[in-house]
Amino acid sequence: MSGGFHVPGTEPEGGGLAAAPPIAGLVKRSIAWISAILLCAMMLLTVVDVIGRYGFNAPLSGATEMTELLLSAIIFIGLPAATLDRDHVTVDFLTDRLSGGIERIRVPFVALAASGVLAVVAWRLWVIGEQIAGYGGVTVSLQIPIAPVAYLAACLTGISACVMLAMAGLALRRR
Amino acid sequence: QTVLTLSSWVPATHPQVANFIVPMAKDIERVTDGRVKVNILPAPLGPPSAAFDLAKNGVADITYSVQGYTPGRFKTAAIGEMPLLSDNAIATSVAFWRVYEKYLAAAHEYDGVKVMAIYTHGPGEIFSSKPIKAYGDIAGQKIRVGGVVAHDIVKSIGAVPVEGPSSKSYELLSQGVADGIFFPYESVNFFKLIDLVGNSYTVPGGLYNTAMFVVMNQKKWDSLPAEDQAAISTIIGEPLVRKAGEMWNKADAEGREAMKGKVTFHDASEADMATLREKLQPIIDNQIAVVSSAGVDGEAAYVMLKEEIAKVEAESAQ
Amino acid sequence: MQHWEIGMIVLFGLLLAGLPISLALTAVGVLGTAMIIGWEPSLSLLGQTFFDNSRSYSLSILPLFLMMGNFVVQSGVARDLYEAAYAWLRHRRGGLAVATIIACGGFSSVCGSSLATASTMAKISMPSMRRFGYPDGLSTASIAAGGTLGILIPPSVILMFYGLMTQQDIGKLFIAGILPGLIGICLYVLAVRMSMAFGRIELPVEPKLPLKERIAALKSVSGALALFLFVMGGIYLGVFTPTESAGMGAAGAFLLVVIRGRMKLDEALATLYDTAKTTAMMNFILFGALTFANYVNLSGMTTDMQAILTGFGDHPLGVILMITLIYLVLGCVLEGLSMITLTVPIFYPIVAQYGFDLVWFGIYVVIVTEVSYITPPMGLNAFVLRSVVKDVSLSTIFRGLSMFLVVDVARLALILLFPSIVLLLPSLM
Ligand code: NA
Ligand code: NA
Repeated sequence: MSGGFHVPGTEPEGGGLAAAPPIAGLVKRSIAWISAILLCAMMLLTVVDVIGRYGFNAPLSGATEMTELLLSAIIFIGLPAATLDRDHVTVDFLTDRLSGGIERIRVPFVALAASGVLAVVAWRLWVIGEQIAGYGGVTVSLQIPIAPVAYLAACLTGISACVMLAMAGLALRRR
Repeated sequence: QTVLTLSSWVPATHPQVANFIVPMAKDIERVTDGRVKVNILPAPLGPPSAAFDLAKNGVADITYSVQGYTPGRFKTAAIGEMPLLSDNAIATSVAFWRVYEKYLAAAHEYDGVKVMAIYTHGPGEIFSSKPIKAYGDIAGQKIRVGGVVAHDIVKSIGAVPVEGPSSKSYELLSQGVADGIFFPYESVNFFKLIDLVGNSYTVPGGLYNTAMFVVMNQKKWDSLPAEDQAAISTIIGEPLVRKAGEMWNKADAEGREAMKGKVTFHDASEADMATLREKLQPIIDNQIAVVSSAGVDGEAAYVMLKEEIAKVEAESAQ
Repeated sequence: MQHWEIGMIVLFGLLLAGLPISLALTAVGVLGTAMIIGWEPSLSLLGQTFFDNSRSYSLSILPLFLMMGNFVVQSGVARDLYEAAYAWLRHRRGGLAVATIIACGGFSSVCGSSLATASTMAKISMPSMRRFGYPDGLSTASIAAGGTLGILIPPSVILMFYGLMTQQDIGKLFIAGILPGLIGICLYVLAVRMSMAFGRIELPVEPKLPLKERIAALKSVSGALALFLFVMGGIYLGVFTPTESAGMGAAGAFLLVVIRGRMKLDEALATLYDTAKTTAMMNFILFGALTFANYVNLSGMTTDMQAILTGFGDHPLGVILMITLIYLVLGCVLEGLSMITLTVPIFYPIVAQYGFDLVWFGIYVVIVTEVSYITPPMGLNAFVLRSVVKDVSLSTIFRGLSMFLVVDVARLALILLFPSIVLLLPSLM
């Protein structure tokens, strides 16, 4: 910290992500590594494309469609993690006021419903994948097949549905 | 009374909607004496690339879009996307439709929908912020393109293809991401690019084209009474395709009118044309092979396309 | 009862029961659409909406800006921003609170989220305000309110969402947020003064720092300033598209972390893990909202809603006042992201019809969202403060926020009466 002084009362270290919880468990760590690789790839694609365009008059061919496929992968890889960490945004101003008795019934039911919706989404993503595979859909310039990305999305959403279901089960057993 | 929902993704002010889709909807209502109405939804149900499936899956009853938005799916559409076809959108559209009926339909790419029209827009040319006086000036320019074929064409003439949705054309050009653009006259005008591109390099017959479709959910079509089907049949197919061609021709003429005094036109010289024909031949051959890979005779389809274009052009000239 | 009225009631029921917003929107969207066009079409529309939009190039701006914001947090630049602001203000009464607001504004210029801004600044500025005897109400309120600027001063997650839902240029929206954001800082400083005057709060001052030291303090924030100028300047001058600026900004923030010696593998991994999670969570809300919007589209709700909105008369001002009223009420009970995903698909076609500029409406929506972050009972930024500063009650925080709410309403009125505050900068692009 330059400037030679600190605001009194604050510890020199402690801001930033030092407070972030360590990533425990093999699953989360694997997701973290995969996300890190995909996100950095996405960032580098842009940087190389922009530098190529201004520096060498040679934009990166296929950068746009690679970014699109990477985005899809990042969204669906983040989903099981968000589900596992209960990061889905809910409107909780009413549920926060509920008594323990109601909560014991509500929590598993809501988790079950959430699992059901995720399962339907997973199923329909799979169907979309089959449709795209059926006509051999590919990207414009690099001709990358698109269907595998849809299958991947379907599987990861399905896994998230299972995580939700397990949460419903745990909540039920706690009764 | 039957109501057909139509999902439209092009802005309502665009000629394709105002002068083609809306009149088509009115015509359907008129020829069925009001028994069949078309309800154009206030917002599209999905992105342009989803339009075909929206109709096929019965989400909307009628949709329209560009075959090239789902690469790999409509291999036979390559016939309509060839360079050096015609400056007359009626000729390319009607010829494309006739070829579709005779050869391309056999590839079964449009199963699940009733094909109402298959057509093209007017000739696609190069518009650039940098001058293009002759073929040699194209080399190294960054050109924004849409589809697969246009992408290959840009490469084959020595330019650098830049990707990006057509709705971002203004951004791409004004920010210098692209020097120029492959567009028909109409689009340059519609996307307000005239002040960004001072130069146009005009190749007779166009450097590229775009295939488009209007389709209706097959089950919905089958569910219409025979009487209504017969009535609607009189205004779809070739008559509708001709209307599309007229709409594009008119829009292109307006586009050229708006460019007067603002855009310098350079016509490709005879020497340039010879070079272009030579450079573009491998692409034409490749496209014919793509069409054939769908299980139809690509060579015969291409020959017929050229013949029919000549026929329709001759009719229009009279 | 209209079809969509039942749909809205079911939606609110599911939301109140605690189903995640993304899934509640999806469920009602699919069910409602199925009732109109049948199960098979509705389900295939669901799959298409989720998959096609997950591959949208313009959406890739979201993870990239989230990544930039997360790296900026990791770089520890927030503390320097606060110290620099404090160096210039410590000899004034209430200087720490004012410094907090200015540092929040500075941090907002590189971070797109209000919650991240509030929680980062809370950890840094709360301890020092306590030490100098600032009342908890004023301290927490300054951070909670200052934090809301995160979504107005670009980059902004909410503006990205708005742009994607209404097909507006995200670059223009970002640039449009700059002037209202600066006005927001000024008004919040005024709110600190008002709180001190009305609450008869006496605060200590420190001796003025020599100019040399004040300038030295500024140097440490040059990294953040450079990043902001690089990203927003790039958009403004047309060097990058917004998506590219997000990618370049993420790379710049990454460099900032490295240069400041903060690059630790585990922390970077945690940063990227968080980015992927937030990307997934937010995109699922967006896809849910799009699924729901398809239902709105098919159900004819837009036309019916228009009749309701003309309750104050069929005049643009009447319609916008009605919308403001709805937003202020919804803002009390809903969290910001759910509020805009629920309302924007319904309101924006109507607002456009009445001749309002959709870039202007975007900024307007962001400001009402800011207000929703600090109104009880559902005020997310107050909750953030409550979770960081564990021994302060929510009612203390909300009481402290009252003057900030007053100036927020004044800001809304300003934007409404002088739309050029919003539209001036984008018109010069
Ligand atoms: Na911000
Ligand atoms: Na609130």
